[in-house]
This record gives sequence, C-alpha cells and structure tokens, in this order.
Amino acid sequence: MTFLASMKQPYCPGCGYHLVTSQIAKALEKLNIKPLDVVISSDIGCGGLIDASFNVHTIHGLHGRSVALAMGAALGLEDKKVIAFQGDGGATIGLQHLLEAARWNVDMTLIIVNNMIYGMTGGQPSGLTPFGFTTVITPQGHQQHPYDLVKLAYDAGATYALRILAKGDFSEKLAGAFAVKGFSIVEIVSPCPSYGVKGVKELSEMGIADLELKREREPMKPVVRESKSLIRSELKTLYEAGLKDRIAVVLAGSAGEGVQSAAELLAEAAILSGLKTTKKGDYPITVGTGFSLAEVILSEKRIDYTGIQKPDVIIVTSDDGLARIRSLLKPGDSTLIIADSSLSIEGMENVVHRDFRGVAGKKGACLAAIGFWLRRSSVIPEAALREATKKSKHAESLLNSIQSAEGLDA
Amino acid sequence: MNDKLSERVLLVDGSRLIIESAVCAGAEVFVGYPITPANLLYLYSSRRFPMMFPAPDEISTLQWMCGFSAAGKYPMTATSFPGFALMLESLNMAYMMELPMLIVLAQRLGPSTGSATTGAEGDLMLLRGAISGGYPFPVFSVSSPVDCWNLTAKAISASLKMRTPVVLLTSKELAMTMSTVSADDLENVERAQWELSSGERYLPYQRTDSLVPPFAPLGDGRFQVRFNASTHDEMGLIRKTDAAALSNTTRLKEKVEKWISDYTFYELDEEAGARKLIVSYGITSGSAREALGILRKSGEKASLLIVKTLLPVPPAVIEIMSRYDRVFIAEENLTGLLCEIIYGVSGRPSVKSIGKIGTMITPREIVDRVMES
Repeated sequence: MTFLASMKQPYCPGCGYHLVTSQIAKALEKLNIKPLDVVISSDIGCGGLIDASFNVHTIHGLHGRSVALAMGAALGLEDKKVIAFQGDGGATIGLQHLLEAARWNVDMTLIIVNNMIYGMTGGQPSGLTPFGFTTVITPQGHQQHPYDLVKLAYDAGATYALRILAKGDFSEKLAGAFAVKGFSIVEIVSPCPSYGVKGVKELSEMGIADLELKREREPMKPVVRESKSLIRSELKTLYEAGLKDRIAVVLAGSAGEGVQSAAELLAEAAILSGLKTTKKGDYPITVGTGFSLAEVILSEKRIDYTGIQKPDVIIVTSDDGLARIRSLLKPGDSTLIIADSSLSIEGMENVVHRDFRGVAGKKGACLAAIGFWLRRSSVIPEAALREATKKSKHAESLLNSIQSAEGLDA
Repeated sequence: MNDKLSERVLLVDGSRLIIESAVCAGAEVFVGYPITPANLLYLYSSRRFPMMFPAPDEISTLQWMCGFSAAGKYPMTATSFPGFALMLESLNMAYMMELPMLIVLAQRLGPSTGSATTGAEGDLMLLRGAISGGYPFPVFSVSSPVDCWNLTAKAISASLKMRTPVVLLTSKELAMTMSTVSADDLENVERAQWELSSGERYLPYQRTDSLVPPFAPLGDGRFQVRFNASTHDEMGLIRKTDAAALSNTTRLKEKVEKWISDYTFYELDEEAGARKLIVSYGITSGSAREALGILRKSGEKASLLIVKTLLPVPPAVIEIMSRYDRVFIAEENLTGLLCEIIYGVSGRPSVKSIGKIGTMITPREIVDRVMES
C-alpha cells in the first residue's frame, strides 16, 4: 500500500520538502499500518501544500495551529497515527500549542521542517532563524538566537524529540519517531533554496546539529466519564405564602460569611411557599475578601425583569455590606432595614438593629437575620426557611443559626 | 393552591440548564478557558460532560474543538468577548471546514476587558461580520431560563443539520442568575444526530441537493477524508479561485440561507389592532415582557416580538416587523446593533432604538419610550 498519492510535488527546485515528503511516505510504509489509519494535519506555508501528496486523511488548517488541531483530533480518535506538519514559521506563531501537546504527552508526532525563514512571504526571519543569518530584512545578519524546539519540547514533557539534517535516507529515524507512544517531535533542518541558501554557512558553524532526547512516559489517554444530571431535585409547594405581590430583598455582608448560600435558602423557601423567585450575587473580583451582595426577588407572579430598582427590604450584617449598599439608602424611603447592632445607620425611618453577629457568629448572621425578618413579616413562613436547610450537608448548623436569633424577636 | 401543588419547580441558573441540555442533545466534549461571566458553564461542564479539557487559551480551545469535531465528537465551549475575539480566525476555519460545534458567548460590558461582572448585549454586530466576507452563520439568543434549556438543544441540532459552528448568545444576567423554572416548561431533548455519509465513495465537500455535504470523520476506514480551511474544491484540496472552488465557497452562504427557516425561533405576542411593535432579545426580553403588560394595562395597544434566531436575520422576523407603523427595538447597548443590522445606518423614522449600558433596561424605560411616540 502506498502512502504517496503522486510523485509530482509543488515545491521549488532544490527544496527539501521533496525529500521530506518521500521520506515520510517511506517511513510510514515501514510501520504496519494502512493509509486510512493515518491523519496529517497541515499548517500554512509551503508545508501546507503537503496534503495533496498523500493518500491519508488530511486536515489543512491555520498558520501555527496544526499542532493544536492535531491534538484535538488525536484526543478524539483511537488507534490512529496523527501527524502534524509545520514549518519554522508555524512553530514560532504557535509555540504555545507544541509545548502544550508535549506537556500533555498526546499520542502524536509533530514534524517541523525548519527552512530557517518565512519562505512564502519573501524570506523574513522566524523564531528559528540562526544568529547571523542574512534575510531580506537583516542583510547585516540576524541579531537574535533561535529557539531550540527539540530541547523546549523535551523539557515540556515530550516522550521523544529529534533533530536531523535533511540529507540522505532518514526514513528509519522518522519511523522510529512515528512508532513512539506519546508526543514525538522531529525537527528536520532544510534551508529554503529560494531565500535561505544565500544566508547559509555550514550548518555546523551555526551550531545546528543532530540531537536526540527521549524518556519513558505514558501517553495521555482521554477518559470518558459517566455522570448524573445537573438538574437537582424539584421543589414542591409545602407552605402558603402571605405575599400577594412582589418584594425585592437585598442581602449585604462580607465574603465568606454565607450571604450567597443564605440568599439561596431564602429563594428555595420562597419556592416551597409557592412563589416565583430570582437570586443573583455580586461580589468583587477578589472573591475571598470585601463585600458580598445578593438580590432576591419573591413574587406571586412570573418574574420577567430580574433587576431591583428600589429594594423593599435590606438585610445588612457587616461593614463591607453596609459600605456597598449605602447608595441605596434614601432618607424618607419606607425600605425596611434589618441591620446588625454593630452598624450605624442614620437618617432612615425603618431600621431594626439586632445582635445577629453576636448570637449566630459572623457566618450565621445573614441567615439568622433572614429568619428574624420572616418571623416578623407575613411574606413566607419561617418554617419554609427551616425546611430549605434540610437538604444541606450543614443542615444542623444552618438551623442553629436560624434558631439563635429567636431570642432577639422581642 | 392546587395548581401550585402539582407544579414541579426548579431553582437553577441559566448555565446549569445550558450545560445539561447540551449533554442531553449529544455534546460530547467541552473545551474551554475560564472567563467571567462564562465561569459557571466551564465549572458545570467539568462535572457533566463525558470529556472536558481545560485549554491554555481560546485559540487552542477552538483548534482542539475543530480536531474533535473533525473526529466526529461534538464539541462545545463557553466564553465572553475577550476570549471570543481570540477565536475569530479559528471560527472562520471551522466555518470553512464545515465543522459542527457550539460556542456559548456570555456577553459582558465592553469595550475591551470592560467590566467582567456587568452584563451587556454588545456583540451582535461582531457576530454579523465574524466570517470574512460577511457570510451568514447561525446565532441563537436565549431570552429566558427556559430558553437556556430548549434553545441550547435546538442550536446543537441546527449546527449538525447545517454542518456549521453556531453561537448561542447569552449574557451575565442569564448565565448567573438563579430563578424559578417549571420543569414542565423544559422540552424533551433528544440526542441530535450527525448526518453521516453512507456511501462507499466520498467527496468531502460534495454539492448535494441539501447543499450540506454528508459528514465523515477523520480516520474513517472506508475512504479518504479531507478537511480544508483554505479555498478548496469538492475533494477538499486547495484551489485558488477556479469555478469548482468558488462554487464551494458560494455554497457555504446558500446552505445556511436554505435551512435557517427550519431553525427560525421567536416569540410573538400580537394584540389585535396594535400599530406599535416592541422587539427585543436576550436579557432585555424580560423587561420587554413586563413593559408590554404595563402598556396594555394602561390601555395602550402594543405587540411584542422576542427574536431568538438573530442571525442570519430570518425573513419571518423582517416580515413581522414590516407589518407595524412603529417599531421599538430594545437591547442593552448604546448603539442599537440589531436595529442597525436590520435597518442599516440610515435607519427609518418609524423605528426607534431603546438602549443603555451598565444596568439592565427597565420595563419603565421601554414603556416611556413607547408612550412618547
């Protein structure tokens, strides 16, 4: 079975791609596989023309991305030989991708044909252009040192990394790289005849030489997992709500003080009481410090607009929370404010202070205040809040928090 | 009270519904890079998807997804504008290769990094022009928690039917807000099927009557399979601009236009005799629904159109809008993106754009604009 579709190739006279193409085909023939067991992912650049030369499956993608594309295919396929193909330009723009594939040790081979410049756009330097190399934009010689992809890929975790110069028959070496289980990379150095050759001294003078690095390492094997539905148990109406309209509640406290979970319990309690509800959270990007704010709407009817323009109730249990909601406090408003005793709130008519932090601790203060509020109002029964805590693995401490504030009711 | 007793109710956020629906509809692989406000989608996918891979960036994300899709494994990701911007070239690749996949775009306030935890509806114009050449590619928009379930499955089905990447547009407010959802409103979701080639011979980009080439994965044991991101012929081989190649590129436009009527989703609440139409999508839909109720209560006749298939703009949507003397398009941005896509830069005197940034448009803001005209 031949892997080559045609002996005719689209490359410039003297280009190393002729040799590389035939050597890849020869190497594949040494393995005991069929052309339809092989996938070649090709890049942009002269190497992007390689697809048509092969009878294997091909996928021709974007500049620098053939490794990442091949990585996805390799993780999605079983028992196929996946080969990514790119030039030094592609390796430069997509360096992250080859390091990632090596780090994961994905079972695939990356062939990089290093012709030392960008050939298709006129001979500009790439990340693999040697120091001192003359290019169209560096007639005095290139002033940066090249990446050593073989060493980089090996350091990132590749099972096998090889650099060879494109001379003679190297199909045995390629076959060895293809046979590796895990990530293998082969850099084939082959200067561009149209632009590169003028800049070439002896390759050895530029410090370019064969290199082989290998280790024992298991290839990454994707695992297909079984899992259960994310949709949690349904809630049924167990209680009767007193609320006949819609009420907007803002809960304000500090990060780590259980504000978000207390808000969720209030929302569940509302559903247990036959109401519709929405709950949203707001906190700084540093989620472990500062304020934690939650908005809960309870309504007898469907809630379409989920915003709160003016809260009916504000429950505030810490300084961070108070600082955050100060702009909502409008003197003269009828908003009910239930606040921890430690917080000073002036100019508002309807403020109730209690020592929630004292009786329930800082982590239970918000929930304790919600229970306190429900016992004073007829919105939903406080029993619904207790019922909502039952599903939690911290049910006991949550119930304790609610009960702890009972002594504050008077 | 009796009605309530029989109702099966959930307290869920939109992200949970999207991920669960996607898995039920046949999505197999989630690839992603975490970004606010798409974080919950990423988190839930790790608990629910058969395979989940954390990528080092959004370019890798889409490239891996293309590899999975070419291998016949349905991929999905979720991101926000900064991540989506990095995906643009690879999205074009997926479109050109005709690879089915779902990208959830959870919008946040821009420009640039903007405000990660503030909602917005600012990315529609980008999506309209996302494919070089202005080619149509399907964009669906969820307008409610129930949509997060129903529309996700439909988007996946559409992408497989048309062999194309699709975007499901949402925003911070829907992705992260928990709300009451009646389980009875969630449609039964069936696993969507790949339309696989059954023949012995295979032309990867064959122009058939359906304009959608049958799919075969890389590694198929029957025949050679080629995918190509550059201009190509039916074989999947690079061609410059010969007739075969241009015919193939033209087909990409024709196929989406041919099939979009099967995937045209909207919600229309028409009132007899109304001459005013409110149009909205996404998170602003909730305000628009409440605004409609307020208007009707006050005796003002008005109709409401919630658009869920935003791109390509379905002919049915344009037809509905053309029936009204006054059209009000409400969307959470300053520049009226849907309005401009439909009516152009010059607009129309009879069409008003209602927009703002920073917080959701309120029902009252919509009511006031409708009443003043």
